[in-house]
Amino acid sequence: MSGEEGSEKRSRGQRFRDGLTPKRVGLYAVLFGMIGFYLAPLESGLMTSIKSTEAFASTTPFAPPGPEGATIEPWLLAWESLQESLFNLRGSLANSLFFALPATLLSATLGSLAAYGLTKVSWRGQILVFALLIAGVFIPYQAVLVPLRQFWSFIDIASMLTGVPVLEPRADLIELSITHTAYGIPICTVLFRAYYQTLDNDMLEAARIDGASITRIYRRIVLPLSVPMFAVTLIYQFTQIWNDLLFALVIVQSSEFFVVTQELNALQGALVQEYNIQMAGAFIAALPTLVVYIVFGKQFAEGVAGGGT
Amino acid sequence: MAELILDRITKYFDDDGERIVAVDDASIDIADGEFLVLVGPSGCGKSTTLRMIAGLETISEGEIRLDDRVINDQKPQQRDIAMVFQSYALYPHMTVRENMRFGLEESTDLADEEMNSRVEESATMMGIDDLLGRYPRELSGGQQQRVALGRAIVRDPAVFLMDEPLSNLDAKLRSSMRTELQRIQDELGVTTVYVTHDQTEAMTMGDRIAILDDGRLQQVATPLECYHRPKNQFVASFIGEPSMNFFDMRLEGGRLLNEDFDYSLSSRIAETLDTEELVLGIRPEDIELVDGAEGDHDYAAEVLVVEPMGNENSVHLRIGETRFIATVGGMRQIREGETAAVRLPEEAIHLFDRASGEALHNRRLEAQLVEPPV
Amino acid sequence: MRTDGGAETESRTWFGLGSRSVDDELLESLPFWLPAALLVGLFVYGAIGWNFLISLTDWSGLGQPDYSNLSFEMYRTMIGDANFLAATRNTFVLLIVFTGLALVVGLVMAILVDQGIRFENTFRTIYLLPMSLSFVVTAIFWSWMYNTSSGGINVTLQALGLDFLAMNWLGDPRFRLAAIIFALMWQFSGYCLIVYLAGLRSIPNEHYEAAKVDGASTVRMYWRVILPQLRASTMSAAVVLMVFALKAFDFIFVVFGTNPGRSADILAVMMYRQAFDATNWAYGSAIAIVLFLMALGVIAPYIYMQYTRGEL
Repeated sequence: MSGEEGSEKRSRGQRFRDGLTPKRVGLYAVLFGMIGFYLAPLESGLMTSIKSTEAFASTTPFAPPGPEGATIEPWLLAWESLQESLFNLRGSLANSLFFALPATLLSATLGSLAAYGLTKVSWRGQILVFALLIAGVFIPYQAVLVPLRQFWSFIDIASMLTGVPVLEPRADLIELSITHTAYGIPICTVLFRAYYQTLDNDMLEAARIDGASITRIYRRIVLPLSVPMFAVTLIYQFTQIWNDLLFALVIVQSSEFFVVTQELNALQGALVQEYNIQMAGAFIAALPTLVVYIVFGKQFAEGVAGGGT
Repeated sequence: MAELILDRITKYFDDDGERIVAVDDASIDIADGEFLVLVGPSGCGKSTTLRMIAGLETISEGEIRLDDRVINDQKPQQRDIAMVFQSYALYPHMTVRENMRFGLEESTDLADEEMNSRVEESATMMGIDDLLGRYPRELSGGQQQRVALGRAIVRDPAVFLMDEPLSNLDAKLRSSMRTELQRIQDELGVTTVYVTHDQTEAMTMGDRIAILDDGRLQQVATPLECYHRPKNQFVASFIGEPSMNFFDMRLEGGRLLNEDFDYSLSSRIAETLDTEELVLGIRPEDIELVDGAEGDHDYAAEVLVVEPMGNENSVHLRIGETRFIATVGGMRQIREGETAAVRLPEEAIHLFDRASGEALHNRRLEAQLVEPPV
Repeated sequence: MRTDGGAETESRTWFGLGSRSVDDELLESLPFWLPAALLVGLFVYGAIGWNFLISLTDWSGLGQPDYSNLSFEMYRTMIGDANFLAATRNTFVLLIVFTGLALVVGLVMAILVDQGIRFENTFRTIYLLPMSLSFVVTAIFWSWMYNTSSGGINVTLQALGLDFLAMNWLGDPRFRLAAIIFALMWQFSGYCLIVYLAGLRSIPNEHYEAAKVDGASTVRMYWRVILPQLRASTMSAAVVLMVFALKAFDFIFVVFGTNPGRSADILAVMMYRQAFDATNWAYGSAIAIVLFLMALGVIAPYIYMQYTRGEL
């Protein structure tokens, strides 16, 4: 919340770095031990996912499979039930992309605009509006679930879209997307506002004197300068929205349009003892966010430090 | 071409119900093409005044007129002004060319080529024509400063506003930019309001200077007039380095008295005074070191400290408990601890009303030194 | 930067410049924040209000709620419901133990990572990795880790000769909540590490050096000099963790379904079960209101504190 950034501003480096003393050896041993701790569930999952059913029951979960126990069968089976084929537009991965991408873009854009409109205005009300937005970050979603279900049964997106190809059958996903946009706005606003408060006042006043209107200043000065913050917000929001299960459970009814977390949950329920397929499925479902995290870890860390959960 | 008139402008801020007056009833007429420097200590209201002219701050009372047009309620972009900020305020994501074009794009509908040629013309004038493709982060502080000025010039405004534009530069660069700024302003003939806290800048650059203290305008006059004919004790102390010496005195029977020395006043001066509680002021360079304390205004003083500056010496002196500073030639031999004879010549003294600070008598001058304002 | 400080900094805005009234400024900024405010107002605050209204009805099963006859009946039922009391107790246990544990682990890790280590970025990236995963994914990994006969935890314990510690972690009601807390700690301590590391980095080096010069041992230095300066980091991390603990639904739902049994039930799960499994909509809504008030109890003081510090 307070805008800490997970970046390396100042390392105390040298002072502590006095060669390989026993102390330093101990330090690295602990740090590597913790890597083991954080990666163990993933490692055991990965190893299990490439073992046959007999193999994973008879070997330790962390060990790689022997030559006869190794198989990619679990991955194929998990892929079959999560997505079927890469271009299957009704696969759960495709469904997740369909609702997550627009929600990510929309919530970041609306958050950026709101933060711009709420930073450095002098009317007192802005603090109240902003406080209500911050509080929105922390709302337990359970508190809105029943009304949400009611709301989307009254506002019938499907009938509004009657006859529109592609969209009409995906009304649930559109509802989910709008829902995630709304609940994503608070955190996006918080992230952007912390950044806009650091913008140079003189520069914005200079733009004003140069004749730019409020809207032009946003388009020509603030927006181009927000690109790094957009990266942070988009990365973070995409991860959050992709990973969510709760809203999907309440909003998406037809199993044909299950999103990936729902489908994975269903798969886990259906194949209770087949841990190898479960693990492969978990990796497939996590793949997009894992890739995003590995490529944009720095932005993700900034989003985490700036906004919490 | 523009005449800028501040007519009794006042600015107050509301701090949780408490009213803070930042600028109090200030009136200045700034002539077309004039270079006016607003100077004063930190927090005196000089920046607020500038920001009111710019339209970045609302005006609580009074009027600002630009060529007889009241601009109080006009937005900054409608006022035909350009401003240079202390922080330069360049747009970091734009090249120098784009920075300079921005104002033209937003406030005019000039053709593309016209904009470019105006940008290039101004860039040449500022000597930054080879930097047009660079980004601000690739420039030195001095170059950024030039871009900031170029960005103002290219707009060809009626008035330039400058808010401490040189204070982020190092001392050497600052003095050369001072000269250059004056040259450019002279060449363009644009009415300029320049804010600084640095009295040297004020003295050397301004056609006139306006001295502010605590939101109130103290004096508006040419630099030399402010120096030699300060309207009050604040101006006298603010302008000049080292500062004027002040002595609290009582007028009794034509003589000024304090604990440590007395000073005889000629009747010509004494007659004009209608109060007894006075402050005697004299500039350090007006104090003379003489061979013996013989005259009426000569005193024996102990030398406390000598600060050699090369071209001159600042000598800290003491008569009894009264301390003061004199500046004497750099070649003058003088040692700490010795007793010197000093003369406070009557033609160089200033007298202030101790209660109000108002100047009651200023030093005598050769007539042509202080000219009436342009 | 400003040499001419004082009151004028207060009014530095870029909306409504050059106009006399605050209204202009409001009018100019409105189009930017209004769409976001409306969406949030409707979906968050409107929904909470509506939820409260529903909690006052006796709505259950099919059909629509009847708003004509409102009462606090559901809240009265709640007080006498042993399941509710157990879920409340578990929620508090989760809240406190999980938050405390994650903070301590995160702090220790942050101090270790702050010792000028090599490959710091790599270490941090790995420690934070679990945060980027969906709870559905981590729940599946941990169900396997906790598997009694061949899961990673028990296999490791047996390998270390600690067979007596190998339990039926998810099956035995005594260990369920602890198992959940441990897995959540695994997922969230990286977050605390990041927050604390930023806090540590903002402490000037001189403070370390001064303490060293004063002859403080490393442990005492951290305890007396550094820790007190991390109060703000602790505060913001704790708020985030507690609020998360209140809504830790996905993880438990994937591992246990909607009924984890009394020993691991929390309000967030109970609410979902009552509303969406049993269609006791009004009762579920009432539980949701309790959950909301608990979250409010955590965040209201925090936001107020930020406001008084001028950080809003």
